Amino acid sequence: MKWGLLLGMSTLVGLMIMYEWPKLKSLPKKDKLSFFVLVFIGWFLSLFDLPNLPGPTSMIESLFKPFSKMLE
Amino acid sequence: MLEEGEKMQGNEKISAGQMGLLMYFAISASAVTVVPGITGKYAQNDLWLSPIWASLIGYVTVYIACRLHQLYPKQSIIQYSQTILGSFLGKVTSLFFIFFYLHLTGLIVRAYAEFVVGNFLTRTPISVVMISMVMVTALAVRGGVEVLGRTAQLFFFMFLIPVALMPTLLGSMKLQYLFPILEHGLKPTFLGAASPQAWFSEIFIMAYFLPLVSNQEKSMRAGMWSVFGTMMLLTIINVFILLVMGRQAGDFLYPVMVAFRYISVADFFQNLDSVVMGIWIIGLFQKISVFYYASVIGTSQLLGLRDYRPLVLPFGILVVIMGFWSIPDQLHVSAFDTFAFPFYGPLVQTVFPLLLLILAFWQKRGQASHAGRTALTDDTNS
Repeated sequence: MKWGLLLGMSTLVGLMIMYEWPKLKSLPKKDKLSFFVLVFIGWFLSLFDLPNLPGPTSMIESLFKPFSKMLE
Repeated sequence: MLEEGEKMQGNEKISAGQMGLLMYFAISASAVTVVPGITGKYAQNDLWLSPIWASLIGYVTVYIACRLHQLYPKQSIIQYSQTILGSFLGKVTSLFFIFFYLHLTGLIVRAYAEFVVGNFLTRTPISVVMISMVMVTALAVRGGVEVLGRTAQLFFFMFLIPVALMPTLLGSMKLQYLFPILEHGLKPTFLGAASPQAWFSEIFIMAYFLPLVSNQEKSMRAGMWSVFGTMMLLTIINVFILLVMGRQAGDFLYPVMVAFRYISVADFFQNLDSVVMGIWIIGLFQKISVFYYASVIGTSQLLGLRDYRPLVLPFGILVVIMGFWSIPDQLHVSAFDTFAFPFYGPLVQTVFPLLLLILAFWQKRGQASHAGRTALTDDTNS
């Protein structure tokens, strides 16, 4: 686990919330909730070693493997 | 407050011409960097023919997007997919579309950063290049669709400067590289068209911009023109790299960049590749902001939010994450572009909307005949 990355991401997320809050305050609850959920997903995912994990890109690649043979 | 919120999302308008220019950037900006190299691998010295075949899917996609919008005016794909498929299936589809564009934005940002790091900023960490681009595009997306439309108008002629630079290499072009034309038949040119046709199908992103166009009647023509313009640009670029480099064109990752590196006029005009690079970065800024805008506006429409602006920055983090997820190095970026995207892109952006259009036609016809019958029975009753 890289502590620098965790610290950096937490600072970034904190700054982002501070920047958005004045405008977010007057918007309905739904807007606030979706903002915080998205921020949390982003913060959470950034803690993983993403480049070496299987994800959407590798999933799509393996899904279309039978067709890709046509182009090889 | 509600009025202000409505103004934020509802009243922004762009002209059909601006939308056409946005779509032009949305296809060609990254197509000019990597696609000629991929095409050259398959089509060898016939690579100039492939964009012409590939553009056919672009025209079809423009037709589908415009007809769908005619059937459901003032609605984007997120909204009318719920009308066509019903609430639950429609929401699943919308979620998939949002994911598709978010993922694509991440991949484009990654491809852009690999392009910059591979050619010029070789010692800069790739995350710095990616994050700085995402921050600039986030500003543009927060500015709204009018800002995007105007920057597209501003940058359009700048984007064509590389074409104007091509004649400076006339001295080192060899016409005999063109021949023999169609040495191995048409098949290699079709294989070479596989990758560009995926790029052309990206024009379906106009489904997010059509509701914002003020002069609707011209939007289909604008879309068709941007497909035609992209086809012309790709064909010109492919002829250019073929005449300069011959069959070697397919051996390079960024052949157009390599060709511009040759330019030397009177030993004075040199290193013009950096100028071309700067111009292409402008184009990629435009392309990334179009895709970024589509994924953000799609999410806010799906969730029924009052304002999309608070979602822009959180989506920035997600875009960078998508650009890194399961892509350890440059090889994986080009493998995805070469092998998976030629099937994945058109399947989601042309075949699936075509199914939606057929379903919508069927529904509308059913409704029309049903309405006709009830009108008839009403008539006899009275």
